[in-house]
Order: sequence, then structure tokens, then C-alpha cells
Amino acid sequence: MKRFSDTVYDALRSVKLATVLIVLIAVFAVAGGIIPQGRDESFYLHKFPGAPARIILALDLDGIFSGMPFLLLATLFTTNLTVCSFHRFTKELKKPRGNRRHGPDILHIGLLVFIFGGLLTARTRSETLIYLGKGQEARLPEGSSIVLMDLREERYPDGRPKSWESAISIDEKESTIKVNSPLRYKGYTIYQQDWKSAQHAVFEDAAGMRLSLDQGAKAKMAEGSVFFMTIEKGAPTEIGTDEYANAEAVFLLENDSGRKILRARKGDAIGLFTFAGFEEEAISGLKIVRDKGFPLVAAGLALVLLGTFLTYIRKLKGMLA
Amino acid sequence: MISTISFALLLVSLTVQAVYLFRKDGAKDPVSNWLALGAGILLLAEIIRRSVAIRFIALTGMFESLVFLACLVSILVFALRYLRSLRAERAIAFGATALAVVFLALASSPLAPADIKPPVPALQSGWLILHVSFTFIGEVFFAAGFVSAVLQLATRNEEKRKNYDRLAYTSIAIGYPIFTAGALVFGAVWAQKAWGIWWSWDPKETWALITWLTYTAYLHFRLVRKNTSKVMPLLVIAGFLIAMFTFFGVNFLLSGLHSYA
Repeated sequence: MKRFSDTVYDALRSVKLATVLIVLIAVFAVAGGIIPQGRDESFYLHKFPGAPARIILALDLDGIFSGMPFLLLATLFTTNLTVCSFHRFTKELKKPRGNRRHGPDILHIGLLVFIFGGLLTARTRSETLIYLGKGQEARLPEGSSIVLMDLREERYPDGRPKSWESAISIDEKESTIKVNSPLRYKGYTIYQQDWKSAQHAVFEDAAGMRLSLDQGAKAKMAEGSVFFMTIEKGAPTEIGTDEYANAEAVFLLENDSGRKILRARKGDAIGLFTFAGFEEEAISGLKIVRDKGFPLVAAGLALVLLGTFLTYIRKLKGMLA
Repeated sequence: MISTISFALLLVSLTVQAVYLFRKDGAKDPVSNWLALGAGILLLAEIIRRSVAIRFIALTGMFESLVFLACLVSILVFALRYLRSLRAERAIAFGATALAVVFLALASSPLAPADIKPPVPALQSGWLILHVSFTFIGEVFFAAGFVSAVLQLATRNEEKRKNYDRLAYTSIAIGYPIFTAGALVFGAVWAQKAWGIWWSWDPKETWALITWLTYTAYLHFRLVRKNTSKVMPLLVIAGFLIAMFTFFGVNFLLSGLHSYA
């Protein structure tokens, strides 16, 4: 009579179980592919009004791939894959060397390495988005300094972006980061993620001294302080006019007599200064990623690739014969 | 213009094949595969012409993808007569030619604008070429599997059914590693290089995974069920329909990181 442990082992290494689990994972993926994932509750109430929204929210179908049912299924699949790989690999080793076929073993082990790498990534990956203007500096958590030396933007004649590049100095070594060409440095990877322009409010005093203020920043003046709150864009007066030519800057002025909100256009006086208009500055958005699972995931994918081709190489050879 | 000539060549090829399909002596026509090859070469020339114009491989839009897919299927139609393991009934070449015609018809529809546009920074990567070309080559074999599976379900002749089953399996077994490399491995590597993340459950990624899981289920199902049950051709048909939904449906119905594709 079969021992209980043998029964469990046979069940867990079963190809039938693997097939059922693959189909179930596909069913979950279909649900995740149809229902938008990770949106606000209000999105589902609006998009799927009534009972469907209540069902989606009650069964956590808005976050299928991080929900308990899918994670349990993935755990069972990983267990099945592990036992199946071990069983198959040891069985192959008992065969004469020339008769062994290790393609499926490499493929399955690659999937396991990929899964464990993915878990490590999920637990340890960190991501930070920083925005730097030319000459501005940021620091990595371990102390390295990144300074944005230059930004280069090219556009096609139809106005679509052609290239975004940031020339940076990291610990005084110069490098260029482009979209699709990140920089790896001391365990971090820095990506060219975003590109935008920011408007600064510029003030001039009677002596011609200029003061530039970022949106959301505060400056002290002799008679108090000024906080640059926002920009209210006016309608362009004619086609092709700069959208900021007619805009108003909204400031919060603070002094001994209290607080006051002031809307100013180019040429308006603010205390002893004159508001001289807006100045545009290009800003580079750099994404800084640290991912300890990177080598495992990369190795897992390489093994999956190798294993899949080795498994079906006979068919490929047969096709070309 | 080039794609219109290719379309005409494929239509003539399809007509010639249709005539020979009803001949009982099993004779093969002498021209249809050459017409398909001519269409494939012209479509390849169109891809090269567009690539020269944008100074990048022209595989970045819906029109170009459809032309490339039709080009690959046309070449496969020609090759079907010469590849031993895929040499088959005339009906498979006929079905594949019909698919190439459908792809070109879609390419000429308003769904696929034919403007030549150079790629935005996100698409300027060597990984795009590997990702897209391997995925499509894999899908071309899935198309051959799809036609075989449809014929397998349609025929009542046991010998023919077994032959179609063998052809469907051979097509999937060849397409599967190529699709795995293109859609999943090269796609994940490119995503990591461009966005800093291997996988983000974007609708296109999720549906590519569903395609892969369907064919994975089919290949495992064959290990446990040796006979030619109806479930197997149905899985092959479902896999190809899901692959086509991933290609077309996701682009038009679900927005995500691949919205420009």
C-alpha cells in the first residue's frame, strides 16, 4: 500500500495538477485583463454601476494579482513546479547520458528562479522620482551626489519628441542618460523617466537686481515675504501667442499687517519689486531604482529562454530538415 | 501602392488555390506559392522602404505590424511546400493565405493609418526589434496551428484528423519557443531597460501572458492526453484568437503602457 507521503508527492508532481493550475492562472489573468486593476473605488462604481462594482470590490477583483486567492494559487503552482522539476531532473539523471533531455528541466528551473527573483524584487525594490533643473543636485541614499549638468531635447518637424537626454555628473564622473539607456551605478539604476518645463516668477528691483522664485517657493523681502502660489493662464490673444504672455501669477503676501492674495501681471509692482514675468526652465525627471532581485530575474529569464528552445529544438530542426 | 499589389497577388494566389482545392486528384497548383512569395517579398520591401524613411526598423505602428505579419504569413505559405515537417494538405496553405489577405485588408482600413512616423524616444530600442519580430514569427506558426486545428475539427476522416493534429502540434511546438522569447523574455528585458520594471500587469502584458498560458496548457495537455480529443484543437484555436485579441483588441479597447503599439 502506498504511503501517505508518496501519495502527496505523486499528487504534487503531477502534470495533470500542473495543467489545471495553468488553466486556473489563465482564468485569473483573463479577469485581471478585463477588469482594470488598482484604480480608486469611485472608478469601479462609475464604470461598473450597481452589483458588478460591489462584486468587484467585495472579491478584491480590483487587485487580483496581489489578492489572496491568486497568491495561494501561485504558491501551489510554485510547489508543483518545484516537486515536478526535482522529480523529472532526478529521473533524467538515471538515464544514459546520450538519452537525457534537460530542456524542460532548465525551463522549469528558470521559471522557479524567475519566481523567486520576482518575489525578492517585490520585497526589496525601491523607486524614487526626482526632478532636477540644470545645475541642481540630488543625493542617493548612500550619499552619492547627482548633478544635472545639461538637458538636451530634440523634436521631429511635426513636434513629436525625438530624443530626451540628461547629462549628469555622479560623484564627479560625467554620464549621459537617455530613454532606453539607463545608467547603472553602485546598485542603483537611473532612468530618464520624464521631461517637463517649469515657470519661475521673476522680480526686479529699481537697481535692476533680479530675483527668481519657483512655484511653491517663498522669498523674504524687506517688507515681509512673498509666496508664489500658482499661475492662472489667460487665453492667448492670437494664434501662436505664448500661453504665459497673458497669464497672471498668484502670490501670497505676508507682513506685519497680515496676509493678502495678490494677482500680478508682467509690470505690476509688488512691494519694492516689479513682477518681470515668467522664465521657463527645462526640468528632467530621473527615476532611481534599486532592485536586489535583478540578477535572479535576469538569470531566470535567460534559463527560460534556453530551456524553451532546448525543449523544442527537435521540432525546429525537423522544420528545417 | 506596394501593399495593394501584394494584396492583389495574394487574392490571385487564393483564387488559384481555391480552384485546386476541389480537384480530387490531389494535384498541387504550380503558381500560388510563388505568388505568395512575391507578395511576401514586396511587403518586405515596403517595410525596408519605410525603415529607410524613418531611419529605424519600421515596426512601431499598427499598419507596419499588420504588413509585417502578412509578409511573414505569405513567406510561410511559400515555405509550407518545402518544409518537411509542415508539408501538408493544400487546405492549410489556403487558410494561411486567407489570413494574410485579412491582415492586409485590416492594414488598409482606417484602424491602421499608414502615415510614416519616426519613433518616439520610448520606441528607440534594439529590444523593440527582437520583441516585435520574435513575437510575430511565433504568431505566424500559431496561425498555421490555428488553421490546422480548425480543419482538424471540421474533418470526419480519421486519418486526416490525425494529420491535422500532428501539424497543429508541430506548428505550436515551433512557434511556442519563438513567442516565449519575443513576447515574454525580450518584452520583459525591454520593459526593465525602458521603465525600470520587468512586469507591470499592463493589459497588453497580461493578455500576452494569457496567450502563453493557453499554449502552455495545450502542450501540457498533450502530455496527459495522448489521443486527439477535441479539447486540444479548441485550445489551439483559443490561443490564436487570444493572440489576435492581444494584438488588436487590447490596442483599441484597453489603454495602458503599450497604447502607442
